Amino acid sequence: MAACVGLRCVLQSFPSALPLVSRTIVAPSSRLLSKTHLHPRTLSTASRLAAGLKFTDKHEWVRVEDRTGIVGISNFAQEALGDVVYCGLPEPGTKLNQMDEFGALESVKAASELYSPLTGEVTEINQDLADNPGLVNKSCYKDGWLIKMTIDKPSELDALMDEAAYERYIKSIEN
Amino acid sequence: MIIRHVKTQLIRQRSTFSALLDASFKSGAVLKSLSTNIYENLALEDWIQEHVDLESRSLLLLWRNMPAAVIGRHQNPWQECHLGLMREKGIPLARRRSGGGAVYHDLGNINMTFFTSKKQYDRQRNMRTVTSALKDLRPGLDVRATERFDMLLNEQFKISGSAAKLGRTAAYHHCTLLCAADRSLLSGVLRSPCQGIKSNATPSVPSPVKNLTDEDPTLDCEIIMDAVANRYIRDSGLNGPLILIDPTDELCHPGIHRLTRELQTWNWVFGKTPKFTIDTCFDIPHEAVRPKVMLNMEVKYGIIEKCRIEVPSDWLPLHMCEEFSTLLVGSRFCPSDIAALFVAVSRANPQTCDLQAKLNLLCTKLTNVM
Repeated sequence: MAACVGLRCVLQSFPSALPLVSRTIVAPSSRLLSKTHLHPRTLSTASRLAAGLKFTDKHEWVRVEDRTGIVGISNFAQEALGDVVYCGLPEPGTKLNQMDEFGALESVKAASELYSPLTGEVTEINQDLADNPGLVNKSCYKDGWLIKMTIDKPSELDALMDEAAYERYIKSIEN
Repeated sequence: MIIRHVKTQLIRQRSTFSALLDASFKSGAVLKSLSTNIYENLALEDWIQEHVDLESRSLLLLWRNMPAAVIGRHQNPWQECHLGLMREKGIPLARRRSGGGAVYHDLGNINMTFFTSKKQYDRQRNMRTVTSALKDLRPGLDVRATERFDMLLNEQFKISGSAAKLGRTAAYHHCTLLCAADRSLLSGVLRSPCQGIKSNATPSVPSPVKNLTDEDPTLDCEIIMDAVANRYIRDSGLNGPLILIDPTDELCHPGIHRLTRELQTWNWVFGKTPKFTIDTCFDIPHEAVRPKVMLNMEVKYGIIEKCRIEVPSDWLPLHMCEEFSTLLVGSRFCPSDIAALFVAVSRANPQTCDLQAKLNLLCTKLTNVM
């Protein structure tokens, strides 16, 4: 958590008009190299993958593919969590209302509950996470997805934050 | 050093507990549970985390339980505990919502839960409160917190373990503290006799333990709880008394009964166990022979999904073995369910005395694994 805050402080000293990617590259390299999780290339890759996603204030993201919602946690969340050692996910068929607790990620830091971004039914869970829970840290926007679910109330998606709004949100809670 | 006496009051609450805190204890408080029931106390923790405004205040909850084994959220009770011993002694099993490993509670163990906002979550600071409190009491005591947020006595013995949960807006970090617990029961309960379990459930890290009273017999739970409460009040700049809480009071804590009930369901305690396989064999002592039984099972969410029992065919007919293997699929991995199944099947298909005796023995041995 402290590492993440440190980097944000560095980024905030640059004009806010600059997009996230170039801000990352321009930041003093010594600061970035001292954070093992926050290599500049990883951040810009994460940023590209984060585009097109919708975010909740609980740091979960949703991507819509063929009318199915794919859910995961954001880079901010996985950094804050630390190394994930177990993913407790629901059974396919579980019906969720928006904001229902649907599972927990256990890391060395704590068991952190997961809250459903949408109302729908779980159709699939990421089986790779059973043997490789670290995927949530290594590839939070791609291979570390958590569940797939139906989207019963598409209007809920509209109310979620896009990437830019989410970035602003993160900055506001860190202050 | 003068230890400030902590005044305790039972506060008459006409409204809910969170309303009371909002009205009178804006910056924080120390709470003490009046219950020694593990499920009631675990439910209290979750209730507080969900219902109390912890954005600008912190709380410390002190609680103790009658003997109980408590496993972490994603653990396998068959791997972590001696369930047969616990059934024998009437010791309940609870699964908490925080992570971490398996622990044994009794009235000689103190539980401390530090509630904060997610931003204020700081396990190191909480452990410092406890070690400082102990040193306030006995300056010569060699206690220190480790990087895993355990606490060591004399650099050797574990006297405290930690776990934590991050919720919607609030966090809690709780830890145990061994003062005068029954150590032989502790090691018996936390040593599983089950061989051959393979799973990706979070494992415990076993450690040699000691009680604080082994080191200093003049200490006891009450003295230590007071010291921790005092230290917390001092470090947090609080002014209040210690509040006694009754976690069975639904009016003060609306919804707490449901939380308590959920924690006791088979589906939560056992059914939340990650998928596992058992590959084991055991002897059945029967007259002069000791036939070897091979057992292979897959269990998911506490339900047997696959089952293969192999017994020498000269001891039990092969078709019977296969029938039982098939029958067990879909049952809960639970002695009473399996025993009931055996009884029902035996009644429907009466056997010779000899065969029946063998079946009963097989059933007993099977349920011992559970």
